[in-house]
Amino acid sequence: MITDQLNIPKQICKRCILPGTFPGIKFNENGLCNHCQKQIDSSQTSNTSTKKRNFRYRLDALVHDLKGTAPVYDIIVAYSGGKDSSYILKLLKEQYNLRILAMTLDNHFVSPAAIENIKVITDKLAIDTLIIRPPWAAIKPMFNLTAQKDIFSKTTLMRASSICTACIGIVKSIVLKTALEMSIPLVGYGWSPGQAPIQSAILKTNPQLIQTNQKVLINSFPLELKEKLNQYFIPDSYFKTFKEKFPHNIHPLAFFDYDEDHIKKELKKMGWKSPEDTDSNSSNCRINAYANQCHILRHGFHPYVWEIANMVRQNIMTREQGLIKIYSDQNKEMVSYAKEKLQQ
Amino acid sequence: MNEIKKTIRKFIIENFLFGEEDNLKGDTSFLEEGIIDSTGVLELIEFLEEQFDITVKDDEIIPENLDSLNNLEKFLTRVEAK
Repeated sequence: MITDQLNIPKQICKRCILPGTFPGIKFNENGLCNHCQKQIDSSQTSNTSTKKRNFRYRLDALVHDLKGTAPVYDIIVAYSGGKDSSYILKLLKEQYNLRILAMTLDNHFVSPAAIENIKVITDKLAIDTLIIRPPWAAIKPMFNLTAQKDIFSKTTLMRASSICTACIGIVKSIVLKTALEMSIPLVGYGWSPGQAPIQSAILKTNPQLIQTNQKVLINSFPLELKEKLNQYFIPDSYFKTFKEKFPHNIHPLAFFDYDEDHIKKELKKMGWKSPEDTDSNSSNCRINAYANQCHILRHGFHPYVWEIANMVRQNIMTREQGLIKIYSDQNKEMVSYAKEKLQQ
Repeated sequence: MNEIKKTIRKFIIENFLFGEEDNLKGDTSFLEEGIIDSTGVLELIEFLEEQFDITVKDDEIIPENLDSLNNLEKFLTRVEAK
């Protein structure tokens, strides 16, 4: 069996794949974790397919109300070139014919194959792309710091590595900043159904909440780094100036059918290719394997295990697929590549 | 402490503080103290909707309603009175 070659911890949930090292985990006498038990209890009262259908109606209504109201674009999509965000571009263009701006953060570790995928997909769908590339002098210390220590809260580090949290914090800020500046009413993300609860699939952003969250994130960085990164965050004045223009966030993959193989198959028809130089949990980023390794060494669990366990629990992914994604060794070449680049 | 507050406190301690409840006071800011992050807010909303059988509207997702045990107690009392 393939799973014989994996590094599966001794204590692991019998249903999902959360390990005994995951913060706050408890197992019952049948070996089920508290998160699985909670899901079994709540699935008796809630119907996921009804919820998903209702979100489809909500998106239809939102698009009906907002499409064509903004000067240039209906939606800005945080676009990594990976499979999930590529697929939501396809959904939003083909099913809603929205005027889309795809925005990419080039964090200096984007796989060349992902860059090529960005070009192929946006050309095919006739979508404008905006790439922001902060200088290496700003990115390098941020990744070096987060590779060496955890500067974010324990709760945040349950769901992502320090390196990813810092990077995605910048992505979310520059995307929202651009939406406000260009009066774009919708912001799209390709979060997988395991990354955020379905309740968040369509949500009007709130200036106060975003400002508080951003303050906490920025204050996690030491002063010198804060100054280098400041320009990528939303200026305080925007929360007042654009108070009425805060957009709706949408996460379409939380309520459209999600099947990794189907997504890849559809994208391949459009010319998208799976990068060969990324790890099994990313289809665009070459620092991810190193980020995972740093997290595993410091915390004793994989930073993607929460997301993947959620997908196993929701039957979106088989348990075996989940085990392979989480308990395979990190690719040594990719880890070395990122480590060496950060020393340059 | 009333039942609403006790239920939420238990949820916060189990899900975000991993059983360590020492510093959780009624007015502790979940966001500023790093107890809950932006994804955590969404999980809190999911919990409130399921546990109290309410719908939290977009314009109710603000720190004044959600960012401490005291704020949550006031918010839920208001919603349930409607």
